[in-house]
Amino acid sequence: MRSLLAMEFAKILRLASVRFAVVLLVLFPILWAYAPGIFKVYGFYLVSAYQVPALGLLSSMQFLLPLLVAITAAELLGMELSNGTLQTILLRPVSRSQWLLAKLIVVSVYPFAVLALFFIVSLLAGAPYGYGSFVGGTGLGQAGLLGQGTMAAGHALREVAGAYLVAAYSLVPVSLLGVLFTVLFMSAAGGALATLSVLIFMQLLIVFPGLEPYLLTTQLNAYAKPVANLGWVAALIALYCAAFAALAVVLFERKDF
Amino acid sequence: MATPSIEVDHLTKRYGVRPVVRDMSFTVNPGEVYALVGPNGAGKTTVIRLVAGLAFPSEGAVRMLGSNPHQDPSVRRKLGAVVEAPAAFYPYLTGRGNLRLHGRLAGGVEEDRIQEVLDMMELGNAAERRVGVYSLGMRQRLGVAAAMLTRPEVLILDEPASGMDPLSLHLVHSVLREAAETGTAVLLSTHHLDEVVAYCTRVAIMEEGVLIDEVNLLDRRERYRVWVDRPHDARALLDTQPWIRHAAVRGDEVVFIPSESDVVGRVTAILAEAEIAVFELTRDIFDLRGYYRERVSSERSRRSGAWTPSDPRLSGEWEDPR
Repeated sequence: MRSLLAMEFAKILRLASVRFAVVLLVLFPILWAYAPGIFKVYGFYLVSAYQVPALGLLSSMQFLLPLLVAITAAELLGMELSNGTLQTILLRPVSRSQWLLAKLIVVSVYPFAVLALFFIVSLLAGAPYGYGSFVGGTGLGQAGLLGQGTMAAGHALREVAGAYLVAAYSLVPVSLLGVLFTVLFMSAAGGALATLSVLIFMQLLIVFPGLEPYLLTTQLNAYAKPVANLGWVAALIALYCAAFAALAVVLFERKDF
Repeated sequence: MATPSIEVDHLTKRYGVRPVVRDMSFTVNPGEVYALVGPNGAGKTTVIRLVAGLAFPSEGAVRMLGSNPHQDPSVRRKLGAVVEAPAAFYPYLTGRGNLRLHGRLAGGVEEDRIQEVLDMMELGNAAERRVGVYSLGMRQRLGVAAAMLTRPEVLILDEPASGMDPLSLHLVHSVLREAAETGTAVLLSTHHLDEVVAYCTRVAIMEEGVLIDEVNLLDRRERYRVWVDRPHDARALLDTQPWIRHAAVRGDEVVFIPSESDVVGRVTAILAEAEIAVFELTRDIFDLRGYYRERVSSERSRRSGAWTPSDPRLSGEWEDPR
């Protein structure tokens, strides 16, 4: 299993979608940190480096980050289909479930890597605003971006880093859904687009208020929730992960190649 | 008789309601080269994938070295296979890098063995080049190298001749023949009937998912016709010889298939002893191409309702070398 994981980690680094994501994740915070229209759109001025990653998260969690994660997850399996290497690997003494499990683990780690990069680049992009205490908020805590007086640097860093961690965790089911749909459609494009369609569809389901707390798309906003409410959210996300991963393995085990 | 390396037992595969392989049974013994031939869409690739464990049978069973490859992936340690044409590899890795990866997946292969199979397939000079720049033929040869990596007991190849120049083809043939000589069971699908006659042991002719005929090429490689004055007496005499597998009268001639080699002297001697005049004795070469054409077209005629049965063992399919 360790050998399979090492192989899959090496593969993901070579994916075109990962290189594309890196370019976007580097470019995005730099542009956002100095965008002239921030006040016009969000109604505030950036005053601290800690607000840049917060702003990045607020503006990308609904669409950009889930899409990037889903595309890569789908491509990690899809590239085996397009290269024809899927059959080659399955002819070796490796069980199908073991092999897919290695891929599922790698795509589950991927959102954490994506958000770690996004976080670091955002913090660096905000350097001109300074890393000290500031008057305002990160936008991720209860006080919003305007805050309630002076915010200590350590507190701000903890708040932003915690939010990134929760955001990364909430993106894991999106990754797994990408793999599940790729197994189903046997196509990377099909897998990524189906994942995106499901996310859009789920967002439309907010018209059913009873359903809303359970939707995967609702959990994508978990990073902005108070820490006290995260237990339930974490359990729900874990449930989504388990369901998507199990379904992907079951389908993969029964596929004809 | 050794336990078969591959056993296919009443195999049926349906996609939806459409059967692509129907009630197919055959075995491949250690040291045998078994070829599947048939027109496009006959189901050869499906059979290869079913046997290799990539697809699941709708009915029937496949056993490889006594195990079900779906239930026991460890049996694939003894399997070498190329099921894609051209063979599929990671284009960004070198030839050697791809073989190392295969080695790791197979549970570990020594560096010397990797070099050995690269040299065997004449890829030593290209080993450090990325597979993305390999030609079609080089990829196919690398595929065979990867299949041979673990010294398999079973080799499965789908269209191994695809995209190969004559020299590469000759190389692959020799490698497969040598593998069979060391006891490896080889199952391959192909359209190249010359390749089949050159080194295969048995050939299965498929049409529309059905195995319509299985030809033992060891029996077929040698057949003789002897023109005599008393053909019926000659046939009766030859039929009693233990080294004659089969004899039949055809006009003035007796057609016979020996079970041993170098029988010409013995045949003329026993016929002379019985005072049967021999006017001519000819060795025929088995024309698989003609035989295949006849079998496929007669199968098609039979399905369309106009089939006339023939004795495929002793008619039509032989060509006179004169």
